[in-house]
Amino acid sequence: MIDNGLLVQMLLGALLGLSVYLPLAAGQLSLATPAFYAVGGTLAALLSTRWSVLGATAAGGFPVLSLLLELVLGGALAGTLALLVGRLVLRLRGIYLAIATIALVEIVRVAILNLPFTGGAIGIFSIPQPFTDASGYLLTALILLVLTGWICQRLDTMPLGRAMAAIRDDELAAGCMGIDTTRVKLTAFVLSAVVAGTSGALAAHFLNTWNARQGSFDVSITTLAFVILGGSRAWLGPVVGGLLLTALPELLRPVGDVRLVLFGLVIVLGPVLAPRGLVSPELLERLGRWGSPTREQKP
Amino acid sequence: MSTALLEVRDLSCRFGGLMALDGVSFSVASGEIFGLIGPNGAGKTTLFNLVSGLTPPSSGSVIWRGAAITDLPPHRRNRLGLARTFQNLRLFDDLSVLDNLLVALERHSRSSSIDGLLCTARHRQAERQRREAAWQLLEELGLSALADRQAGTLAYGDRRRLEMARALGTDPALLLLDEPAAGLNPAEKEGLCALIQELRQRHRLTVMIIEHHVPLLMRLCDRMAVLDFGVRIALGSPNVVRRDPRVIAAYLGGDASGETP
Amino acid sequence: MIEALLQTLLNGAASGGVYALVALGYTLVFSVLGVINFAQGALFSLGGYLTYLLMGGRIGVNGALPGWGLPAGLPFWLALLLAAAGSGLVALLVERVAFAPLRRRGAEPLLALITSLGAGVVLVNLLQILMGAEGYAFPQESGALAGLPEVLMIGGARIRTIQLLLLLVCSAAVVGLSLWLERSRGGQALRAVAEDATTAQLLGINSDAMVRLAFVLSGALAGLGGSLIGMSVSLPGPYFGIGYGLKGLAVLVLGGLGSVPGAIAGGLLMGLAEALVPAEASGWRDALAFAILFAVLLLRPSGLLGRRTVDKV
Repeated sequence: MIDNGLLVQMLLGALLGLSVYLPLAAGQLSLATPAFYAVGGTLAALLSTRWSVLGATAAGGFPVLSLLLELVLGGALAGTLALLVGRLVLRLRGIYLAIATIALVEIVRVAILNLPFTGGAIGIFSIPQPFTDASGYLLTALILLVLTGWICQRLDTMPLGRAMAAIRDDELAAGCMGIDTTRVKLTAFVLSAVVAGTSGALAAHFLNTWNARQGSFDVSITTLAFVILGGSRAWLGPVVGGLLLTALPELLRPVGDVRLVLFGLVIVLGPVLAPRGLVSPELLERLGRWGSPTREQKP
Repeated sequence: MSTALLEVRDLSCRFGGLMALDGVSFSVASGEIFGLIGPNGAGKTTLFNLVSGLTPPSSGSVIWRGAAITDLPPHRRNRLGLARTFQNLRLFDDLSVLDNLLVALERHSRSSSIDGLLCTARHRQAERQRREAAWQLLEELGLSALADRQAGTLAYGDRRRLEMARALGTDPALLLLDEPAAGLNPAEKEGLCALIQELRQRHRLTVMIIEHHVPLLMRLCDRMAVLDFGVRIALGSPNVVRRDPRVIAAYLGGDASGETP
Repeated sequence: MIEALLQTLLNGAASGGVYALVALGYTLVFSVLGVINFAQGALFSLGGYLTYLLMGGRIGVNGALPGWGLPAGLPFWLALLLAAAGSGLVALLVERVAFAPLRRRGAEPLLALITSLGAGVVLVNLLQILMGAEGYAFPQESGALAGLPEVLMIGGARIRTIQLLLLLVCSAAVVGLSLWLERSRGGQALRAVAEDATTAQLLGINSDAMVRLAFVLSGALAGLGGSLIGMSVSLPGPYFGIGYGLKGLAVLVLGGLGSVPGAIAGGLLMGLAEALVPAEASGWRDALAFAILFAVLLLRPSGLLGRRTVDKV
C-alpha cells in the first residue's frame, strides 16, 4: 500500500512533472528534465559524501541545514547549466529543440558515467541521511511542491506567465507584440531546470545512492507521460499526472513489471483520446476558481 | 526627408529564385495614412514582414526616425513603436480576449517578475493600470461584452477588431494593417474606415495599410505606393496614382479606381 | 599502423552504414509527413529479435515463455528478409495508432513525436516482457557465415567477415533505396508527395498509400539494421535499438532533415568519427554523436546537406 516512501516518490514525480510543464507552458517541448535532475542529484551526492564541512557523521547522519544548502546549490547549478545551454538551444524550434534536449540528456548521462569522481556505473553510495525515516523527506518534498505550485499559480496572473501562454499560442505574433520571446522561453527553461535540480538533490539523499541511470532517457519518457496524462494547460495537471503515474505501477506490482508499458500507452493514446489531459482549465473552472485564472470583472 | 517616421531604402528580398521584393524605396511621414496596393503576389505582405522584422531582407535597410533598425528583432521594433496586424489573423486563440490585450500591454509595467511572484503593491498597481488600459481599448473597439470569451471562439469581424486592439495595446506610433477589411461586408468596411480615421486621431497614429479594395483605400489614404512583382511602380497621392499608366496596366488594363480586379 | 587504420576505417564504415539505415528510415517518414517517427529505435530492436527467433533461437529464462523457440531455424538471409518485412508491418501498425488519428484531426505535428515515442516505449517493453532483459547471441551454426571463415585478411588487416557483410548489406539497401526513389514510378510518387502533398493528390497520387509505404520501408530499414547488429555483436537487451535510434537522430540532423544523401553521408561520417575515438576514451564514445549533433544544431541547423526553410507568415 501507500507508505511514506512511496509518497515521497509520488511528490518527486509531481515536481518532475512541473519541470516538464514549465517550458511546455511557453510552447517548448523540452525533454531535458532528466539531465538537470541528474546534475542536481550528482552535486548533492558528491558534496555530502566528499565535503566533510557539511557535517556528515560516521554513522551516516547529515544536518538538515546542509541538506537545504544542497537543495539550493543543486537548483542553482542546474539553473546555470540551463542558462548556458538554453541560450544556444532555444533558438531551435519544435523537433530540433526536442532532439537537442535529448542530446543534452545523453551527454550528461555519459559524462556522469565516465567522469573520474562520479563512481562510474555503480555511482555514489552511502549518501548520508538528514532524516531518520521517510517522513522528513515527505515534509521536505511537500514544501518544495507547494512552493513550485505557488510559483506556477502566480505566473497565471503575471506578465511573464501571460507571455509564456502567448508564445505557446503563436510565437511569431508574440514577438510582434513586443515580447522578448527568447528571454521568456529561457526563463521558463531555467525555472524548469531549477525545479529538476532541486528535486534531484533531495532524491539523491532519499535514495541513498546515485548513478547515471537516474537521469537516463527513460526518465524523459516517464516525466513526459506525467504531463500528457495530467494535461499541460494547467499546472495541477502534471502534478496529478506525476502523483498517479508514480503510484500506479507500485500498486500494480503484483501484476508484474508493466510500468513502462503503461507509460508508453499513456503517451501514445493520451494525445489521441484525451488531448487536454485529465486536468483541463475547463474542469478547474467547473470545480471552482482555484488553479485556473479567475474570471474578469469589469472595473 | 528628415521628418519621415519610417523609411525603407532599396529593400530587396529573395526566396530561392523568386525576387519577392526588388529595390523598393519610400518613406512614410508622421501622421499620414499610407496605402499599399498591388496584385496578389506583388510583395505587399513581404514588405510588412521586412518592416516588422519577421523576415530579414536580402539587401537594403529599414530606417525608423532616422536610425537603421534592419537588424533588430520584431519585439525590439515593437518597443520602438511599430505594431502590426496579420492578413490571416494571428490572435492568441487559447487566451481570453482580455488576456490578449494584457499580453500586449506588458511593456507598460514597471514591476518585475519578483514583484509579480510576491504580489507586491507595485505589481498590484501595475496590474490595475494594465487592466484599466485594456478595458479602455475594449470599450473603444466595442469588444467589452466579449472580454471573458476565448479569442478563438469569436466571430470573424470581432477577431479583426481584437487584433487591432491588441496592436494598439503596445502603444504604437506606426500601425501596420494587413488587409483589415478582408472578409467584411460593405457596411462593415465603411465602419472600419471610420474607425481607422478615429483611431488615428485619438492615438496620434501613423497608419500603413494593405488593402485589396482599392476605392476604399483611395478614400482613406493620404498617399500610397503600388507594388507589382516586387517592384514599386507608383508612389503618390491617390489622385496621382489613379492616373498612372503603369498602375492601370498592372491592374489588367482596368481602371484602378474601379472595383477590385 | 596502416593495417590498424584500415581496420578502424572498416569498423567505422560498418557501424556508419547501420546509422545510415536508421537515419534513412527517419528521412523517409520525415520527408512525407514532416514529423519524426520516434518508434524507429524500437523497430530496430524488433528486427534483431525477429531474426533471432526466425533463425531458431530460443527464449531465455527471464522471458514470458522460457525455452520456447521455432521448431526449425531459417538460414540467416531468409530470416533477415522476413524480419525486415515484419518490422515494416509493425511500422504500419505504429502509423495507424500513433500518426493517423492525429493527422485526421489536423493536430500539431509535434504531438506525433510524443505519440510515436509512446509507441516505441510500448514496443520495447513488450519485447522485454516476451524475451526478458537478457542478452542473446545468434545461433551461429545456422548462420550465413557457415561457409565463410570468421576472419578475412585484407591487405594485412584482420577483418571480421560479418563487418564486411554488414557494410555490403547496408550499401546494397541504401543504394537500392536511392535508386528506387530516383527511378521507379513508386519512388517518384513518394517524392512527389514529399515535395507537395496537395499537388501530388491532384496528380492522382494516393498520398495516404504513400505515407503507409514510407512507414513500411522505414520499418524494414530499421529491422534490417537491428538484425545486422544482432548478428555482428549480439542482442544486449531489448533497449539496444533505442540507443541506435537516438544516434540515428544525431545522424539525421547532421545530414539535414529530409535529405537522403545527407542521411547516408551523415551516417558514414558519424561511424568513422566514433571509430577514431581512442580506446582509452571509449566510455565517452556514446556522447560523441550528441556532441556533434549539438555543434551542428548550433552552427548549421539545416544540416550539412539540408535545405533551409522559410517560415510562412
